[in-house]
Amino acid sequence: YRDLHTFELQAPTRLIEWARGSRVCVAGYGQSDGNEILQLIPPPTLQTKETQGLCPERDFKVECGGFSKRPVYSLKYVPDTSLLVTSGPPDSSLQVWQVSAEDSDVIKSVSTIATENGTGQPWAKIDTISARAPWVLHGSRLDSVQITEVESRKNVYTAVSRGSEELSGLAFLDCNTLLLCCATGQLCLADLRQPQSPVEAVSVPPAPCGEQWCMGTTHGAQGSEPSSQPVARLSSRGLLTLTDLRKTSESLASAKARVPSPGSGAEFLCVSWAPALEGCLAISGFDGTVHVYDTQSWDSSGREAEPIFVHKGHAFGGADGSGDPPLVTVHTWHLQKPRTLLSAASDGSLHVWDWVQPCGKC
Amino acid sequence: VSLVSCWCPGAGQDVGRSCILVSIAGKNVMLDCGMHMGYNDDRRFPDFSYITQNGRLTDFLDCVIISHFHLDHCGALPYFSEMVGYDGPIYMTHPTKAICPILLEDYRKITVDKKGETNFFTSQMIKDCMKKVVAVHLHQTVQVDEELEIKAYYAGHVLGAAMFQIKVGCESVVYTGDYNMTPDRHLGAAWIDKCRPDLLISESTYATTIRDSKRCRERDFLKKVHETVERGGKVLIPVFALGRAQELCILLETFWERMNLKAPIYFSTGLTEKANHYYKLFITWTNQKIRKTFVQRNMFEFKHIKAFDRAFADNPGPMVVFATPGMLHAGQSLQIFRKWAGNEKNMVIMPGYCVQGTVGHKILSGQRKLEMEGRQILEVKMQVEYMSFSAHADAKGIMQLIRQAEPRNVLLVHGEAKKMEFLKQKIEQEFHVSCYMPANGETTTILTNPCIPVDISLGLLKRETAIGPLPDAKKPKLMHGTLLMKDNSFRLVSPEQALKELGLAEHQLRFTCRVHIQDPRKEHETVLRVYNHLKGVLKDYSVQHLPDGSITVESILIQATAHSEDQGTKVLLVSWTYQDEELGSYLTSLLKKGLPQSTP
Repeated sequence: YRDLHTFELQAPTRLIEWARGSRVCVAGYGQSDGNEILQLIPPPTLQTKETQGLCPERDFKVECGGFSKRPVYSLKYVPDTSLLVTSGPPDSSLQVWQVSAEDSDVIKSVSTIATENGTGQPWAKIDTISARAPWVLHGSRLDSVQITEVESRKNVYTAVSRGSEELSGLAFLDCNTLLLCCATGQLCLADLRQPQSPVEAVSVPPAPCGEQWCMGTTHGAQGSEPSSQPVARLSSRGLLTLTDLRKTSESLASAKARVPSPGSGAEFLCVSWAPALEGCLAISGFDGTVHVYDTQSWDSSGREAEPIFVHKGHAFGGADGSGDPPLVTVHTWHLQKPRTLLSAASDGSLHVWDWVQPCGKC
Repeated sequence: VSLVSCWCPGAGQDVGRSCILVSIAGKNVMLDCGMHMGYNDDRRFPDFSYITQNGRLTDFLDCVIISHFHLDHCGALPYFSEMVGYDGPIYMTHPTKAICPILLEDYRKITVDKKGETNFFTSQMIKDCMKKVVAVHLHQTVQVDEELEIKAYYAGHVLGAAMFQIKVGCESVVYTGDYNMTPDRHLGAAWIDKCRPDLLISESTYATTIRDSKRCRERDFLKKVHETVERGGKVLIPVFALGRAQELCILLETFWERMNLKAPIYFSTGLTEKANHYYKLFITWTNQKIRKTFVQRNMFEFKHIKAFDRAFADNPGPMVVFATPGMLHAGQSLQIFRKWAGNEKNMVIMPGYCVQGTVGHKILSGQRKLEMEGRQILEVKMQVEYMSFSAHADAKGIMQLIRQAEPRNVLLVHGEAKKMEFLKQKIEQEFHVSCYMPANGETTTILTNPCIPVDISLGLLKRETAIGPLPDAKKPKLMHGTLLMKDNSFRLVSPEQALKELGLAEHQLRFTCRVHIQDPRKEHETVLRVYNHLKGVLKDYSVQHLPDGSITVESILIQATAHSEDQGTKVLLVSWTYQDEELGSYLTSLLKKGLPQSTP
């Protein structure tokens, strides 16, 4: 490691979202009442590009917080507004919140975006964009994907779909294109300019065998081609496939990650591309580790790949050693520092780490 | 209903000094008497004129309590007691009493000698102030006067730091001072029992902080030291004898052993003596581990760490030195600093806060050209690092403490208002108690419901528990009795007992009701009719026909007279006592229904 900071949150989180001004947001997902949404200011060492080492201020500060009655499984800030949207069981509705850090340190609940026949549905996956207006894309199944305008709560688009598979993720590729990933691994595209045509299934995962899949996309620059960056998909058995959306007939590359089997389920599967390291991605959700891979050396054989770094910190977490070993619930890359990641685990730990590349590549 | 009002002439949304005035059931207590480390003028002291415009502080205050020896909690004490004027008792723990005067004297020296200030307390004042101090032990109940008592609890944080419970009758307040809920290498964690105070006053400076783990800080500290030593530089670590010196020594010793490092580590002898002396005196205040090792050997007997000699500072090659005093304001640490400052390969690591005016403070603020005695300019090329291991409670810790003590109200001091709204809601939601956050100088009034203990007579208790549903541990049971308040005691007794004790006679209330009955016969025949009717209906009651012509049902009396104007109507007079109200009403309504036709 070049740097390692470990923190302990009062309650574990399964999301880490970046916000304006280098803020980081985490939220509790416990079944009982009183889950907290916390917007944190990272220590100065993390805000600058250069690492400072010994510094008086090494701690995260809670800038503001809110209380959620339901567990928070997903959270997205609405760009260019002071709002954020959350979702979580027991249904597929969304909660809208207001953050006004200057006036008070409380994140207030503002409204709820209900969904038709939403009760009993799995929790909604969400993504936000503010190109034409503040929009939130949400849905829990292929046939319940819609876009709602956040402030007015008006529906602006409903996807047409033949299938009703459960979704594991969705994203705005740009202001006109949606990418949907089913839990079965299937990727679908939808074009907002053609709202009547159904979503188009573009890629089915190789040899599907009942495992669960999730996807990771890059935050492309505003003007760039939405499909220029490959989409990564990760399965609960550790299979990774990279797909170029312009050429979806065959996968770009695939590999197998060395993960314990049987997996711990797909609850916390997470795969993400490094914003500043070409071709690097990270995966987590199998145990207490986070793996970083360099995909540039991959081919389509799907054989086992060697990670360039493994963060094991969470596995050594729990001081009591009682109960199950901690499971990494989520990870995310620092937006500016190329080799810095943040990861959280089921024991409430939050790690910020920066590794040293042993041999010159990345 | 009583008041516990909190007024904060120092802390309360103002980080820098603590001084809280509590008024509980008529007693006035001052909690801490700190000075603001940021100001150079009178603003550093709390404004005591708020307390009482005229009249002596000694008369107004029942006592002063100091939580620990940090200057932002006791720095204004000599000013308060000797310059403003207070002669009452000042309570603090034994270690605090031993260490306070040293820090106060140090601080005085810096302010007066180095900065040339004049309106400041003198050494004699510090001594006179300490004479008013009464030292207390942990968990020892101290009677300040007949009604006011205080008790100290372990607070962690620094050696001798305590949380105090202040009790008057059945009302109490707990003041935490600075505390820490996680144990470290040389101090345990704060602990309090389920004392259920009416109010818990807690510091909340670090409530919004999520701290980097100790292990990471230590790892970075060791890395820095290692890097400096590897390149041949010297590391100076100025320490206060009782701060983290012990902890850092253990840390370095273990690291040196593991990495097989050869560079020498020294600590100044003045440090050893002082530290050993205090740890010996206050061994019960440290944590288990230290106590165990102390029993076995001298605290500062290390394999790799040796006693320092002045001459060593000029030795070539790498080394690490621990020296006092901690803020580089005088003595050995300053001497060494002057020798090593010019070399960029060297490093100084400041392990804590430095008071304004000290060299430590200056270099931490970024100053690199310092004016020394004789107008000599010292250029600082050595690396300056700062590392804080100070232990304060974060949000999790505060919640833990509230969970332990179970207060009815919480008051937060030591932070900024805006930033405490979230914590306030968190506390209110989780514990269903009210949470207050007063500003500096603001008075907060908290209403309490005092519990008044009342003795219940055994006879009454037995009687009342026999009535109605069986006693249930989860449901309150309603009991009736008479409350006697006599000679400062409260007793609940049966009404009969109360009447007897007070020599009162019970009043008798009698009700009489007239019921009109249509019956043209003579009165005695009507009476017979009524008697037979009642005898037939009220089979479970004693119905009697008395020789004087009246009827009794139990103790209820019925007499018949003719109506004055109408011979065909008879008037029944039904008369009963208050105790027979129920039967009396029933009888009346029964008679009002009329008599059955068939009669003998």
